[in-house]
Amino acid sequence: MSISSDTVTRTRADESETLPSRWRRSTLLRAAVYAVGGLVVLSLVRVITGANDIDSSGALAAALALAAPIALAGLGGLWSERAGIVNIGLEGMMILGTWGGAFFAYHYGAWMGVLGAILLGAIGGAIHALATVIFGVDHIVSGVAINTLGAGAAAYLAARTFTGLPGGGPTQSPGLPDLPTVTIGPLADWLGNLEKGGTFLVADIASALRALVYHLSVLTIIVALLFVLTAWILWRTGFGLRLRSCGEAPTAAETLGVNVYRYKFVATVISGGLAGLGGGFLALVASGLYRDGQTGGRGFIGLAAMIFGNWRPGGLAGGAALFGYTDAINLRGGDDVIRAYLLPVAVFLLLWGVWQLRRRKQGKPITGVVSVIMALVVGAWFALMKAMPSEITQMTPYIATLLVLAFASQRLRMPKADGLIYRKGEAS
Amino acid sequence: MRHATKVAAIVAAAALGLAACGSSDTPSTTSSDGATQPAAGGGEKLKVGMAYDVGGRGDQSFNDAAAKGLDKAKSELGVEGQEAAATNGEPESAREERLQQLIDAGYTNIVAVGFAYAPSVKKVAAENKDVKFALVDSTDAAGPNIENITFAENEGSFLVGAAAALKTKTNVIGFVGGVETPLIKKFEVGYIAGAKAVNPKIEVKVKYLTQPPDFSGFSSVDKGKAAAEGMYQQGADIVYHAAGGSGGGVFQAAKAAGKLAIGVDSDQALTADPSVRDVILTSMIKRVDVGVFDFIKSVKDGNFKAGEKVFDLKAGGVDYATTGGKIDDIKDKLDGYKQKIISGEIKVPAA
Repeated sequence: MSISSDTVTRTRADESETLPSRWRRSTLLRAAVYAVGGLVVLSLVRVITGANDIDSSGALAAALALAAPIALAGLGGLWSERAGIVNIGLEGMMILGTWGGAFFAYHYGAWMGVLGAILLGAIGGAIHALATVIFGVDHIVSGVAINTLGAGAAAYLAARTFTGLPGGGPTQSPGLPDLPTVTIGPLADWLGNLEKGGTFLVADIASALRALVYHLSVLTIIVALLFVLTAWILWRTGFGLRLRSCGEAPTAAETLGVNVYRYKFVATVISGGLAGLGGGFLALVASGLYRDGQTGGRGFIGLAAMIFGNWRPGGLAGGAALFGYTDAINLRGGDDVIRAYLLPVAVFLLLWGVWQLRRRKQGKPITGVVSVIMALVVGAWFALMKAMPSEITQMTPYIATLLVLAFASQRLRMPKADGLIYRKGEAS
Repeated sequence: MRHATKVAAIVAAAALGLAACGSSDTPSTTSSDGATQPAAGGGEKLKVGMAYDVGGRGDQSFNDAAAKGLDKAKSELGVEGQEAAATNGEPESAREERLQQLIDAGYTNIVAVGFAYAPSVKKVAAENKDVKFALVDSTDAAGPNIENITFAENEGSFLVGAAAALKTKTNVIGFVGGVETPLIKKFEVGYIAGAKAVNPKIEVKVKYLTQPPDFSGFSSVDKGKAAAEGMYQQGADIVYHAAGGSGGGVFQAAKAAGKLAIGVDSDQALTADPSVRDVILTSMIKRVDVGVFDFIKSVKDGNFKAGEKVFDLKAGGVDYATTGGKIDDIKDKLDGYKQKIISGEIKVPAA
């Protein structure tokens, strides 16, 4: 049984090794086609419905800021799970990071805050690694303990360190120094004018670009670089190959001389550091202060983003972006935007249904009829309502997650030895 | 022996503190010499136990206002106080235990700060009939030994809504609520009523950060910022928040956009982070301290009365702040509305 699946992985790896340039080119091409297609649809919807916030630079910038902490937590999860350690303690490590970021930033400056967040998160990761790798504790048990411990430790430390500071209190830090932001003034103004013009496609490209050149935090850029770096290290270096082998077949890796314990330990510490940086982002960039409970479960959302990104950095970034975008639209009161999205959904369902009906031989008439009816219902809903009820807008992130998972879950594959307790010398 | 108990108590407190998310909910038993007899209203010192909501003393907002009432009672009425605070996401049993611990330590007049205490007050009050309770912000627990301290937040919000409508240049204003609970709805309804009283055509953008049972909307600074940012970019120039700790994000967004914001619960032009104080137009003040002090005084004087006691504009329970001088020019108009509400000429809707 293990032989067959091993062969499958190997052939897949071989393909990508023998045809790297072609593979990469086709993936890039596909991504570009998707991006352009998405932009055209988005732009059409905007022009037709007049829901300008659908891709305004403000909404996109907010989406970016809301996605970054989720993405960092997910990236942390990616590192540990690729080495076979399930890290449900990301939330706790993130909370430690919020305190670390705030404390070091307040006393030693913003950049030290970034390092402090990473340090505190890494400590959480090291505890998790100690429990799961060295002592062989169940990963979930240890992770839950880290979540409780992280929240408790951060609340205690905050009360000890922030009480009595000007503007601070037991549950809140004073305002923190800002990290530098990138603004290309004249370009941002020019793009802003283009965006206001509202021309089809031009305005949409302008607003997307403007979100990147107006008040963009350097930490956001660092997050993007960390994704590239992670993809490169884990999939293009020997270190990364060995690390992933610990998550797929640790006993096989052991027989080949890989020090599995060390790799798992290092991966989990890095995982904690990244989650901590996610917390640091929340405290330093998104909020400008520490506040008890400010993570609000984002560690878990990061984990979910990683899962539906199929344990890969690209998919994870997409998942985080989806969460960030729907969150931003919701928070910006996007009742009209969510309504606008009904239009492409209706059109898509209609086309799909008609296509199923027209292809008499391979087509599925029942699916076709159902699709057309659904299209009419959604279309009528779109036509009759001026804005989505805000209750439904609030649910959008969850509905989007459910839909994506429903369509993508068939193709998800987690590292084979993920979550299993590994003991040295027990190969059988 | 006594020493050993003290050490054990401290260790237990520290362990609990870490395990239960840094709560300080174990009242130290060392402050009283083991005296557990309930203090009568007379010569002996009245003992008051305060059970705060999440945040506790020092939250610069709701709990601090309650603490101010206790401090005033301490200095003016000579009462003895013991304080404990709730933690985020704690189970219901933790609240009950906190109240019971205060009672066991001899603090037989309990102030439970925040509507989240309603179920536990109901239960503990039924079990301790000789203990007097004050429950702030909720009428969900009633009994012969429970006073429900509530506030007319809608009336205070009416006044700041009117202030926003008088001050806006774009005729678009906003409201950011932390969590969509009936209590926060009351703020929204009053605010809109006040704004429409000045200008019936004004547009009010409303956003709640989270839905119950997710109460993280009171501590998500970044979400408050994103919501307010959206409102400012869509034309609003004044945003009122009733979002607890998330309000800091609303002020930051106002500062970044060069617009104005309205604070809540306490005079936030005095309590918010110094860098954002200049964007605060006014604040809707909720005098929790008045309610708490009133309860303690009534117990001390022996006129405790169970049931709901509403602290409205007339009773001085709510008001608007003038710190910063940004609304000095419209103060006469606001006071006009105030008088009309007090006299009953204007009835402010509550839901």
